[in-house]
Amino acid sequence: MDYARSETLAIKILVAGGFGVGKTTLVSSVSEIQPLHTEELLSDRGTGVDDTSLVEGKATTTVALDFGRITLREGLWIYLFGTPGQDRFWFMWDELSIGALGAVVIADTRRLGEAFPAVDYFEQRDIPFVVAVNCFDGARRHNPAVVRKALALPPHVPVLLSDARERESVKEVLVTLMQHARTHVPAVTAS
Amino acid sequence: MGTDEDPGPLVRMYAVTGGRARPIGESFDVVAVVTTLGMPQVSVGLSPEHMTVLRLCARPTTVADIGVYLRLPLNITRVLLSDLRREGLVSIDRPAASAGSMNERIYQEVLNGLRTL
Repeated sequence: MDYARSETLAIKILVAGGFGVGKTTLVSSVSEIQPLHTEELLSDRGTGVDDTSLVEGKATTTVALDFGRITLREGLWIYLFGTPGQDRFWFMWDELSIGALGAVVIADTRRLGEAFPAVDYFEQRDIPFVVAVNCFDGARRHNPAVVRKALALPPHVPVLLSDARERESVKEVLVTLMQHARTHVPAVTAS
Repeated sequence: MGTDEDPGPLVRMYAVTGGRARPIGESFDVVAVVTTLGMPQVSVGLSPEHMTVLRLCARPTTVADIGVYLRLPLNITRVLLSDLRREGLVSIDRPAASAGSMNERIYQEVLNGLRTL
């Protein structure tokens, strides 16, 4: 039985959106642990591509990385990474996004424009994503169709109303993302 | 070290990696799964942090979780892990979970798991 030989797998999901839009809240709602905090050390030069040893540099900065974890069984986990909100840490996304199964873009209808960079980013990278409209002020005021149009989302991208504080709501977002990723057909890229 | 004081993360970083900031060999993901393959015959050249990793990863553990456990930045954690990989003491599995590469059975398992969470 191949079922007995279960694989060890960690699934990486990114949680993106503007500053203060509810990324950490969403992660906290489903994570079995308080969101964990880790850091990357960066040279002041920024991107750290193929450079000399960081510690030789005069100064290093750290970028905080917060993540949550859901253990589905021994050896099967979902990791939720809140992407750094500041533009100057944009390059951190590149490392995080490699091997990501998908992404949740949290949108706040009062400042939808802040969701654009994330939407653009995941579209360009061909990473399946869903848009979760954070309805902490009540869902009735929001219309997914309006959000879809405002963000110029193609029809296949799911848009959901959700409440980042509510575990059930966030679970639904993740289930939707998984279903979306399952049907995702990778774009043909000239490599 | 002559005192019980924690010398602080930056000093620990120097001490732990000998000033190295880049892992040896192939890079690996923040959620790559690390599994201990064996304990060293002699611990010469291995730091207490290396040994901590070996004990921790007796159960498969991700790079991110190891970093948190060691309270070291991820790049420093990666250096330590690459040392252990070079010595053949751990395996580091690359995650194969980008969309399209994950098989149907895993998707089903994940969906079922999420729903019953």
